[in-house]
Amino acid sequence: MIFNSLTYLVLLAVVVPLYWILSYRARLLLIFTASITFYGFWRVEFIPVLIFSVVVDWWVALRMYSASEKKRFRLLLISIGANIGLLFYFKYLMFFVDNSVSLANIFGAKLDPVLVNIILPLGISFYTFQTISYTVDVYRRHINPETDFLLYACYVTFFPQLVAGPILRVSEVIKQFVERKAFCLNHIFVGSRRILYGLFLKVVVADNIAPLVDQGYSMPIESMSALDVWTLAFLFGFQIYFDFSAYSHIALGSARLLGIVFPENFNFPYLASSPRDFWRRWHISLSSWIRDYLYLPLARVKVLDRSVGGLSIATSKKGDGRALYATWAIMGLWHGANWTFVLWGIYHALMISVYRVVSPLGNGLNEKFKSVGGVFLTLPFMMLGWIPFRAESLNQTFAMWGKVFDLNAYFWLGMRENTYLITFILLIGMFSSSFLRKVFFTNSPLLSRGKQLLDITAIAVMVALVIVFLRPISQFIYFQF
Amino acid sequence: MTLKTNNIRTALGFLGGVALLYVFMSNDNPVQFEELALGETTEPVYTIVDVKKIHCSDMRNSRECIAAYEEFGREQPVSLWLGNSQVHAINQPKPNDETAATKLHRRFQLHDKYFLTYSQPNANLQEHYILFAHMITNIPVKTLVLPVVFDDMREDGIRTSLSSSLSDPIVVQQLGQGELGLKLSENYLSQSRPENDLAGLNDTEQERVERVLSEILSESWSVWASRPSFRGQFLNFLYMSRNWIFGINPSTTRKIIPGRYVLNIQAFSEILDLAANKGIEVLVYIVPLRNDVKRPYHADQYEAFKSEIETITLQKGFDFSNFENIVPPDFWGFKSSTTIGGDLELDFMHFTADGHRLLAESIYRKLLEMGSKQ
Repeated sequence: MIFNSLTYLVLLAVVVPLYWILSYRARLLLIFTASITFYGFWRVEFIPVLIFSVVVDWWVALRMYSASEKKRFRLLLISIGANIGLLFYFKYLMFFVDNSVSLANIFGAKLDPVLVNIILPLGISFYTFQTISYTVDVYRRHINPETDFLLYACYVTFFPQLVAGPILRVSEVIKQFVERKAFCLNHIFVGSRRILYGLFLKVVVADNIAPLVDQGYSMPIESMSALDVWTLAFLFGFQIYFDFSAYSHIALGSARLLGIVFPENFNFPYLASSPRDFWRRWHISLSSWIRDYLYLPLARVKVLDRSVGGLSIATSKKGDGRALYATWAIMGLWHGANWTFVLWGIYHALMISVYRVVSPLGNGLNEKFKSVGGVFLTLPFMMLGWIPFRAESLNQTFAMWGKVFDLNAYFWLGMRENTYLITFILLIGMFSSSFLRKVFFTNSPLLSRGKQLLDITAIAVMVALVIVFLRPISQFIYFQF
Repeated sequence: MTLKTNNIRTALGFLGGVALLYVFMSNDNPVQFEELALGETTEPVYTIVDVKKIHCSDMRNSRECIAAYEEFGREQPVSLWLGNSQVHAINQPKPNDETAATKLHRRFQLHDKYFLTYSQPNANLQEHYILFAHMITNIPVKTLVLPVVFDDMREDGIRTSLSSSLSDPIVVQQLGQGELGLKLSENYLSQSRPENDLAGLNDTEQERVERVLSEILSESWSVWASRPSFRGQFLNFLYMSRNWIFGINPSTTRKIIPGRYVLNIQAFSEILDLAANKGIEVLVYIVPLRNDVKRPYHADQYEAFKSEIETITLQKGFDFSNFENIVPPDFWGFKSSTTIGGDLELDFMHFTADGHRLLAESIYRKLLEMGSKQ
């Protein structure tokens, strides 16, 4: 089910009141039923895949708890194998086959391409990562296995985070289900506000940027100027940010309607003062997962057991460079079975490596200057990094990057004037919204009456625009991962 | 206390949002964003001649035009005219005014030929390409009349109202003969289309439920039913605000947008190739333009554009005409302001019924001339 739809609002309208009047077990049953319904509205036939993943990891974790060390490791391999196996079949098999055929043909095999279309189950990358983290944490003895299957199933399938995260740890969710919170009107208002923000960012902003991005990236490269490449890099950067952070807002808001508090998944990432800082602010739950279950083990560093903090610890360690590049290549591949995503990952590894070398040079500088300067240095590099993420091929990526270094390509414009204008407005809007949030809303109690009026007006305008633009015209970008 | 006031503000905001929509709804002036360029002084006319629909826009009403041909055309050879709003708009309309499309249909009926017109506001040549492929799979087109408009070379993208034609494998096959045609049909499904409300639900179980819920809400809540009009008003407001801030009006010089220009030229070339493959005659013409004031085009670019179109047309063995000066200054008019609080503005694209008469006459003569050459 798509969040930006009437169907989802109806689901919430049914589930939320029922949830608050039901008893503990009935609540869990309701959440599980609602979550399966939510998933089935996409494609019913993939529910068994989801259930399989849930059952395997629940069973493995229980057996692991009382097993010998040797057997525990085997059980862990079963769990990881089952989840990675699912991911490999649905997400990477055709990529692997296509590349194998291409490689064989280079050596003269003359094989025909294999034309099979495997549909990627929605959210599989997210729920498999979540269940892997569970069995790994049990294996590491960070947590005890959950004996209540229904409770565990609710943790994995909980509909607000099922298809695109945040990727949460058992300790962050299950204890909140168990708490049996009493109804509080505040949950409803806070949750509704977050859902409103999310819907606004998705249906009013991101969905209206999307056609400009699509048109821009389908232009012939030779008719693109360097300024077009910069504009498209920024525009897609804004689209994916608004789209994905919108999803996270709605996920957090929906969970909050049920009294469940998720950790934040975004924190003004484009105001990051370094690549390291960026990954502490962007898709924080994935960054943290990658840190704890991939990078730190590869770099042989002790791991944490929470989904907050992003990659801060990982990137501050001057550890194994191979671990860094391997982690980022895998992180890229996680996003999609295409070499463009691998390149995207390696680009970010390179950014972090360069930052590690360059950052000590600024040690004597004023902190404020470093911070502001860092934002203006980091932002363009992060935006250029989105090009392989959106491009159709490596050729398109390198051709677009090449334009940036072609000084002759800076003297003309290849797109409609509105595209530049909208990008510029979004850029200004992003900086000013952060500024307004900091200065106007937190440091000026004297303006509280004006602030209140502004707040009400902003909500009213957002509500009106969401009603007018609410249409499931597109899925969230991260659904494809 | 803080929590309570936060919640009150949230509640007031939600109520205020709904109230805002009722206020806007009282301004009952539905706006179709794509027809914005016409303004109040110009009227779109899609003619029905003797119960026959002979002028359509796109897939939304194409079936009616095809059905009319099947019923009344008696397998007559078809002359197909594809165009933009100049073809269907009459400036300062009076009762019983006719478009060129109507006049041409009547005149060719006397020759036992069927003249059929399709026009869409701001249609680019890529859209004409798809429409042409659709038409030749449904109707025996013998002649194509293809106006080429400098402004529309700045347009890009395929509107959803043409998309259903891409589900027809024969149309896709026709397009597949050209490099761009293949790309258009392949790319189309992967792109975002804000015009299609349920595009994100394609092939999901949710699509049917969403449709039903939206219909129920439309029937029971007038605000929901008015959303397309609200979207038009909102986009119109943004468009006029932009024009106001940057001082843009119809007289502002428009330059070529290289990326779009290249694609449209390629589409133009592939339309002619497709026509040649099917043995279809083509008349390409440069559209009439207001010539009593400075044109809103970069002069060198406009000349180069005309020259390129003529060269391609002649290279491919088809007929080319330049009609840019056939409509005298008296037959042009003004359009409503495209900026906030502005006055009437010059209309460079849409002329009066007299202008339509002259255009029809020019096309008629040219087609007869082409016919006599065969």
